[in-house]
Amino acid sequence: MNKISCAFIRILQHSNSYGGATVLGRQLSYKSDLSLDKIYPNVRLQLYTPPPPPSDGDKFNGYVPMDKLEITYSRSSGPGGQHVNTVNTKVDVRFKLAEAKWIPDKTRAKLLKALQNKITKEGYFCIKSDLTRSQQLNLADALEKLRAIIRAQEVEAASPSEETLEKIRRRQEKAARQRLQLKRGRAQVKADRQGPSAVDF
Amino acid sequence: MANLRESSDKALKLLRTLPRVQIGNLRPNPNSKQNDKRGRAQHGGDKHGAGNKGSGQRQNFMRLGYETGNQPFYLRFPYEPYYKGHHLRRQYPPLSLLQLQVLIDTNRIDISQPIDIATICNSGLLTLKPAELEYGFQLTDHGLDNFKAKINIEVQHASEAVIAAVERNGGVIRTAYYDPRCLHILANPKKFFQKGVPIPKRMLPPQDAVAYYTDAKNRGYLANPEEISKERLVLAQKYGYELPRIEEDPQYEMLTAAKDGRQLFYGLEPGWLINLVDKVIVKPKET
Repeated sequence: MNKISCAFIRILQHSNSYGGATVLGRQLSYKSDLSLDKIYPNVRLQLYTPPPPPSDGDKFNGYVPMDKLEITYSRSSGPGGQHVNTVNTKVDVRFKLAEAKWIPDKTRAKLLKALQNKITKEGYFCIKSDLTRSQQLNLADALEKLRAIIRAQEVEAASPSEETLEKIRRRQEKAARQRLQLKRGRAQVKADRQGPSAVDF
Repeated sequence: MANLRESSDKALKLLRTLPRVQIGNLRPNPNSKQNDKRGRAQHGGDKHGAGNKGSGQRQNFMRLGYETGNQPFYLRFPYEPYYKGHHLRRQYPPLSLLQLQVLIDTNRIDISQPIDIATICNSGLLTLKPAELEYGFQLTDHGLDNFKAKINIEVQHASEAVIAAVERNGGVIRTAYYDPRCLHILANPKKFFQKGVPIPKRMLPPQDAVAYYTDAKNRGYLANPEEISKERLVLAQKYGYELPRIEEDPQYEMLTAAKDGRQLFYGLEPGWLINLVDKVIVKPKET
């Protein structure tokens, strides 16, 4: 082995890098046929934190800023022995609905109207969950419930089609016809119970 | 040889101090005396060990498994479909988050380095048996709420809640596949290095596992890294935590250190030969 390769090996031995060695300031990580830059070219290989998705105008994009919610934990109810008695698995998620800028304005207005009986005096809307034995899974459940409530307000109920409206109209008319027919029949029966009058002679 | 000499020296020393060996000093050797089996007299006679009536006394024994006419148990089941393909089914012995937290708290695992099968097996508390179709460890959600460590861990299977638990604390989790030969090596790396065999290449996962390991949702090692970054945010939103900014972490380099798809050990390439005695790495010539 010549002196250069000996030097390289010594450097590699003392290198405390994980994926590969750093020689002369450059990364010498091993790249095989399965390295990610070969399978996915033109892609950001380093892990990064993407920014929150932009708001879609009128539609709720599903993003809930966690710092705007007040989350508290408490003990759950129901059976469960020592675990349910001692571990805080119940999750309470609260926020002021009128000041929630992360919900689109139109949807927020609809929510205020739909949930007006459920909002507290201070203006908080609260969601609780004690579905599972785990605090984290309960938090996920509470957020899922929140998103479902918000999305339900955005769904426009489908109006009935022309055919359906036509069917309903025909049914109503038939019902009216039958009712009147029955009524006329009964009136005739009652009239027949009377004796013949001067008109009949 | 030295051991034998030591033990014989010890024995002779003992012999000099102990009292003289006599019949009265000896300990009985079990099974050294066998009772005479006589088929006569008070205890061996009368029925001669054959019991009363039946096929036993009449020396007309039924074959093993015979159930006096009804279909015997060993013939009742013509096929057992639940065993079909059992030799192809991969098993992933569980490692709970609770166990992992305990291992970290008791300094059995060093979290300043990336964790993989070799790290877990080297702790001495968990073993992997690749010969019994154990293809690596799966991280389970027992102890999910109390997991507090920031780690870079590579396992073979992890559920969504577990991935969320690791990423919530600022860590990185990855699922990777190792073929059986590589598993044997990783389960006991020292034994492998002592053989003096070059490090082999890791093989691709089997067809039914490719979909799992190329999916960013499972943090697969063959998945698109950009998709993984996006999925981290999705999971943070689902499970309700603020995604820690990993780029600003001083340990970013350690946390994002990942093995190549063909690599077995961090920092070592396939083809290298590790000489533990001379503390030298022998590499193949560039072709």
